[in-house]
Amino acid sequence: MRKLSPVLARVTLVVVLLALWEILTRLSSVSAILIVAPTTILWQMVQILVRTSNVPDFYTNAWLTIVEILIAFGFAAVVGVLTGMAVASSKAIGDAFEPILLVLYAIPKIILYPVIVLMIGTGPATKIVFGVFVGIFVIIFNTAAGLRQVEPDYRRLAHSLGYRGAKIFFKVELPAAAQTILAGLRLGFGYTIIGVLTGELLLVNAGLGYVIDWASVNYYTAQLYALIVITLAIGVVANYVVGLLERRWVR
Amino acid sequence: MPIIEVTGVSKTYHDAATDRVVRTLDKISIAVEENDFLILLGPSGCGKSTLLNIIAGLVPYDQDGGRVLVAGKAVTGPNPKLIAYMFQDPVLYPWRTVLKNVEFGLEAQEIDKTQRRERALKYLRLVGLEEFAEAYPRQLSGGMAQRVALCRALALETDIILMDEPFAALDEQSRILLGDELVSIWRRVRRTIVFVTHSLTEAVYLGQHIAVFTARPGRIKLDIANDLPRPRAIGAAEFNQMVDRVWQQLKGESQAASASGKKAAREEILLPKE
Repeated sequence: MRKLSPVLARVTLVVVLLALWEILTRLSSVSAILIVAPTTILWQMVQILVRTSNVPDFYTNAWLTIVEILIAFGFAAVVGVLTGMAVASSKAIGDAFEPILLVLYAIPKIILYPVIVLMIGTGPATKIVFGVFVGIFVIIFNTAAGLRQVEPDYRRLAHSLGYRGAKIFFKVELPAAAQTILAGLRLGFGYTIIGVLTGELLLVNAGLGYVIDWASVNYYTAQLYALIVITLAIGVVANYVVGLLERRWVR
Repeated sequence: MPIIEVTGVSKTYHDAATDRVVRTLDKISIAVEENDFLILLGPSGCGKSTLLNIIAGLVPYDQDGGRVLVAGKAVTGPNPKLIAYMFQDPVLYPWRTVLKNVEFGLEAQEIDKTQRRERALKYLRLVGLEEFAEAYPRQLSGGMAQRVALCRALALETDIILMDEPFAALDEQSRILLGDELVSIWRRVRRTIVFVTHSLTEAVYLGQHIAVFTARPGRIKLDIANDLPRPRAIGAAEFNQMVDRVWQQLKGESQAASASGKKAAREEILLPKE
């Protein structure tokens, strides 16, 4: 038997499933409110992107979501990595503050959302704060873990060669921990997206989450699916870009 | 004048696990002449590595009158312009190429880029690893990795090289081959080498002098001059005689060390906390 090509197998599976979905939808009499065919979704996506669909202000909303995600992730990344460094910098600091972070990490963040809305209001800032809140912890913990796992000999060697303080940190500890830190950033990015979109779905006043909700409550099922696919695509592209940056940094 | 002079140096540390003060070196004195190849040989736990670390300035010693002079100056910290230090493990940074690993020590001294590269390549050539300059450490065998570490130490072009059981983790063949290389490099470039090992054969094979340690707390029991002609043949009659002579000195200490290992539980070698 010839060797199975993983890519071919994967594409075949997806194509077969889509074809089944298409055929079954076309043949059955299930209401278009419940399910729509893949080609219908694709057509709806095109309409949304060329602004001929009835989705309100698609680009404004999509852009808002993207900006919210980028700001939230930027903040989570910078503050998360710095906090992780601080926690890992000394045993005393770690012992003192890490339990607080662990408690915050463990609670389901969604139950705090109403409080955030009360404190900050219903604007983009609320979604950004929530996105940060959901995404930051994995970044903190991975940064701290990465730095703590640096082999003591790595530091000893640098020390014996005359390196000290900040130079040891930047030339040895940070590169040694880079992989773990980047893995944390990647996870944190995914969580931040979830946080921002959850915030939008709950607030329902702007952003992709808002238009998805709009399509849902108005039974525009084709639009709903099309928007979900677009949102997923943004997520996939963003993840790919982060992956590229990651490979570039680690090599 | 000896290039390294250790006079009456002790080392005690507080062992957190047992909450006791442990003395690993007891008023140790040793002088190393320039261009010597000195072996520090002793039972495990006798403090020979500690002494090496103290000479390297990596570990402080007790401030009770002892002193360590290297090239006539008191040791206060690492001095990579004078001393290169080699660990038991290669300790290569996996994110750096072989060349960049060798250059790492020179970077600290802010030697400019082309000069750094040239010097690193020169020593990689010396150990036959030039073609691996752009490889990453994960692509190297254990012996090759330790050769790179040797390059990194040599590239500093220091007068003194301190080596802490550098070949202990290698298989026997690589160990002998690397030892040969080290000796031939030492004979050509004339540096002072202090080499810690617990292998009798390695000690006799490599060293000009062999300092035998007592069991903990470590003192130098005897300094044996090893004037066997080079190249030395492992297993030759005079080689075996020398091994035997060293072993006669070491034997009692090894027995004492393994006995005190048991005694440690009974706190015999532990000093009460002051």
